[in-house]
Amino acid sequence: MCLAIPMQVDSVDGFEARCSAKGIERTVSLFMLQKEAVAPGDHVLVHVGYAIQKITPAEAQSTWELLDEALAQEALVAQA
Amino acid sequence: MSGSAQHWLEALRGLTLPRPIKILNVCGGHERSIALAGVRSILPRNIELIPGPGCPVCICPEEDIYEAIQMARFDGVTLVAYGDMLRVPVNAPRREPRSLEQARAAGCDIRAVASPKEAVAIARAQPGKPVVFLAAGFETTSAPAAAMLAEGAPDNLFVLLSGRRTWPIVAQLLASGDVGFDALVAPGHVATIMGPEEWQFVVDKHQMPAAVAGFSTDSLLAAIYSVARQFIAGRPFLDNCYTMAVKPGGNALARAMIERVFDIEAGNWRGIGMVPDSGYALRPEFQAHDARRRFPAHGDAARKRAGEMPPGCDCAKVVLGRIYPNECRLFGAACTPRHPIGPCMVSDEGACRIWWASGVREGPLARQHASA
Repeated sequence: MCLAIPMQVDSVDGFEARCSAKGIERTVSLFMLQKEAVAPGDHVLVHVGYAIQKITPAEAQSTWELLDEALAQEALVAQA
Repeated sequence: MSGSAQHWLEALRGLTLPRPIKILNVCGGHERSIALAGVRSILPRNIELIPGPGCPVCICPEEDIYEAIQMARFDGVTLVAYGDMLRVPVNAPRREPRSLEQARAAGCDIRAVASPKEAVAIARAQPGKPVVFLAAGFETTSAPAAAMLAEGAPDNLFVLLSGRRTWPIVAQLLASGDVGFDALVAPGHVATIMGPEEWQFVVDKHQMPAAVAGFSTDSLLAAIYSVARQFIAGRPFLDNCYTMAVKPGGNALARAMIERVFDIEAGNWRGIGMVPDSGYALRPEFQAHDARRRFPAHGDAARKRAGEMPPGCDCAKVVLGRIYPNECRLFGAACTPRHPIGPCMVSDEGACRIWWASGVREGPLARQHASA
């Protein structure tokens, strides 16, 4: 339940942002990052619909690779 | 495995430990990464990894879920909860629903949400009907619930607060006199919100090695290496192996929201009991949104096994890191993800569910590893 997923910010409207990752789009609250400048193109860690921290593009990429690996592993076990 | 993970593994294999060590993690996300990547099987045999109290769904008070079910049955509310909560079994009498899912099947208005924002949207869409949000979770998940209230929630939205703080349960384990571990891997996303400093007491008060870890094999192996090195050197310090997300002080604004919305009080942990300073209560200015104040208690003091784990289930010992999931006699036999008996087999963050998902079916695999 504590896992946060990296997403890229597509647009910002007040405390809300449209974010995407792997073709999935979500509205994400920036309420907990309102003191930071968040702009389209930035990457954020998202947990239960709230951005909790800004991260770099490289960090987002490496986290996604990890999640892909974990999902693939889980699918493999499920088939076995 | 990445080059960096390989590097940490080689470094770990080069260490000479004075005796075998046990390292506790307190995060379902960590346990998931460890189990799925098969980290236990590649580590030197004198390093044992123990999954501890890292599943907020598993330790959510049974009474709170029972209460939520009764609100949905008798108070005409829409009950919303994170999806993992719906299948958690409670010890209700026969002929009564024994989970939120069963209550929904019996006609109650119960819905899974993935965000506090969805709870707000549901409440706005039906202004005449109360919505109760069963808000379980550790700090990472409690902060968004606080943010939701701080931002302003509709009058018909009520919170059944079940959030828990993680460091106090570790403090209780360390003070118990029966400490079953030598080092701690601290939870990365809790520290993202709260800052790594919360875990300094492990080092200062208990002279125990500690490192905050992220969720990649790299970061976890780096943290395992760090605490093993600290153990060998006899000089524990709090390391941060997840600097990408964990900054000094954490997310200060999120912490301020938690403080503005919640008071700290003792919290009940299923199968464990009351843990000082581990729970939240709504502060007076937010009590208009307190589901417990708005709706009369349905608690039944005479209810059998109230607060306990289901009969025969060893989830309480699993949560405390006293036994491994597959040492429970129900694991893989009576208790499987399809027919879960205990909460640790229900939640994606429960150690039993994670071990099952990583291919453990039965047998004392971990014990062999530990005693080898």
